[in-house]
Amino acid sequence: MGEILLGALLMPLLTGAVTLTQKKPLRIHRFNVFGNILTCGFLAAVLQQLITGGVIHEGMLYVDELSGVLLLTVLLLSFTATLFSASYMKKELEHGNISPKMLPRYYGLLQLFISTMIGVLIVENLGLIWVAVEATTLASALLVAFYFNRAALEAAWKYVMVCTVGICMALLGTILLYYAQVNAMPAGGTALSWLQLRELSGSLDPNMVKLALIFILIGYGTKAGLAPMHTWLPDAHSQAPSPVSALLSGALLSCALYAILRNVIVVNGALGGEFSSTLLIAFGLFSIIIAIPFILVQHDVKRLLAYSSVEHMGLITFGIGIGTPLAVYGALLHIVNHALAKSMLFYLAGIITQEYRTKHILRIRGLVSAMPLVGTLFIIGILAITGVPPFNVFVSKFMIAWSAFESNHLMLGSVLLILLTAVFGGMVYYLMKIGFGSVPHHGPGEVRIGWPARTALFLSLAGIVVAGLYLPPWFNSMLIQAAAIVTGG
Amino acid sequence: MNALTILLLGSTWMLTRVTELKNAVNILFVQSVIIALACGIIGFETGELHMYVAAVMTAVIKVGLIPYALLRIVGFLKKERETRPILNPNYSALAAGMLIVLSYGMIDKALPGVVSRDALAASVALVLIGLMLIMTRRQAVMQIVGLITMENGLYLLGLSVTKGLPLIIEFGIFLDVLVAVVVLVILTYRLKRSFLTTDTGLLKKLKG
Repeated sequence: MGEILLGALLMPLLTGAVTLTQKKPLRIHRFNVFGNILTCGFLAAVLQQLITGGVIHEGMLYVDELSGVLLLTVLLLSFTATLFSASYMKKELEHGNISPKMLPRYYGLLQLFISTMIGVLIVENLGLIWVAVEATTLASALLVAFYFNRAALEAAWKYVMVCTVGICMALLGTILLYYAQVNAMPAGGTALSWLQLRELSGSLDPNMVKLALIFILIGYGTKAGLAPMHTWLPDAHSQAPSPVSALLSGALLSCALYAILRNVIVVNGALGGEFSSTLLIAFGLFSIIIAIPFILVQHDVKRLLAYSSVEHMGLITFGIGIGTPLAVYGALLHIVNHALAKSMLFYLAGIITQEYRTKHILRIRGLVSAMPLVGTLFIIGILAITGVPPFNVFVSKFMIAWSAFESNHLMLGSVLLILLTAVFGGMVYYLMKIGFGSVPHHGPGEVRIGWPARTALFLSLAGIVVAGLYLPPWFNSMLIQAAAIVTGG
Repeated sequence: MNALTILLLGSTWMLTRVTELKNAVNILFVQSVIIALACGIIGFETGELHMYVAAVMTAVIKVGLIPYALLRIVGFLKKERETRPILNPNYSALAAGMLIVLSYGMIDKALPGVVSRDALAASVALVLIGLMLIMTRRQAVMQIVGLITMENGLYLLGLSVTKGLPLIIEFGIFLDVLVAVVVLVILTYRLKRSFLTTDTGLLKKLKG
């Protein structure tokens, strides 16, 4: 089994390395789509094994249902992102925004980025998770800076600085956790092994664990875009190429949350749920509150989506903080749902900015009449991400809100609903501005969307619509078991 | 060991007074040499192979490659220096002194009577001073130096509380630090080309 996991880790690296030797754009696009299909094949095999044979544990590699949910997210997003990249980068070349020489670098870094995210999800050791999370920052930093213009450089600089300092805090937390483990560990244990830490968690020094959790939350929270450490997020998301923004928002933030979850499970074993729950709910609600003014008054369509990501990460964190099985189930489902809907929106934003040649919301008008397909999908996407039924995000949002009321957090639940209403108002307001009205004269003429982009968009759409109405039984049971892992049942 | 701790704190304190980028990198070099020596000495005292490996890795990556990469970029940035830091050198030096006292206070309060008290306090001080440099310096290279200082502090902390993390994790951390410096050096180089300066105070276009 270890071979398949290693295959999933190495396949993107191999694809990326071969891409660097290629020169012809068309061949590079095709080769990467092909390579990514193989990566997804490996990931699907891992999931298949997980569903039929249970938890996979081989040496340092470990995949349980919790990582399975996240692996599924990475699988879906890397697949659509690579497909969409083919069309997006083709158009960037046509518009002269990038030179053919930059293309191999883009795909090389993209594949490296995908590989590091898979790395976060398949290692068992909390120390190695830290190493992999830091590696995701470094792989994606040069993607954020990809255009190397002033804005992109500014975004990338802030991204690396803020996230590296943040992640140093997480390292400090991890070291403290290790210290607690050393003091509680019988001889011969493996340092920072997640399974052993979970076993031992009852005998860890509670004060040390509390301190560790605070640093870990600040550290990985920076990476997950939780307020007030979210400042890098809108810059990086708005300046990166659109397929990368989709991956950053849907997959990378979720991987950081995954790192938090793994640590929280250990901490809850030592302290009970109370302490972490308070912190998570506070960070979660604060993130939603911080995002609202920026969603209500926004000038850049990609920043709008980025702040919506801050809000959704806050919502997921809130759900984890509530901590009942239903809440955690909803939060995990929300990770997948948010990834699907937000990635589709970022792809659409990519097409919109390419055709209108601006990211400025006030200059984008009449989307529905200018590009009916893109316009319709954009409306569906925005409605889905704000939680309108019957789309998938509604289901998971509803679960999180419901579980807040169910566990007698009446105030918190009400505040959450009011905040979500404000977000809905802001997003729909801008949807109206972008979607309708008369097309400006600088607007798009005849627009052709390539088949890779169409495939990516329709796949995301299918996910958004189907997951709102029906969850496959295997996925449902994976979520239930993942929630059980988090709640310690 | 005590002499090393004093040297380490002294050199880090000096960082707050520096305005020439080249001097900052040289001090960073000294700092890393001290940490490599400390690893070697602990290895010699405890006879653990692990510590020797850590010493060699520190020597190769933090004493060798990182200062090399930084000196190259500093050579490229001829006229850049820290002309208008957010907190001027005098106040920074004072603040750094207070941070060192604070670190000792914190360690005595949190872990009274711990064996490696000096090393622990020094490592916390390094983290705090590194953080202060990142926050109060505008030059890109100075911020990188702050980041490495912070990382050195964390490394020392890991070393003194737990006799070091497992080798494979430590190796991963070293690799990450190295790649981080490479990425930051690339970005610094591009900043110089696009903005004609590496003053990160000018990076304030993206807002809202």
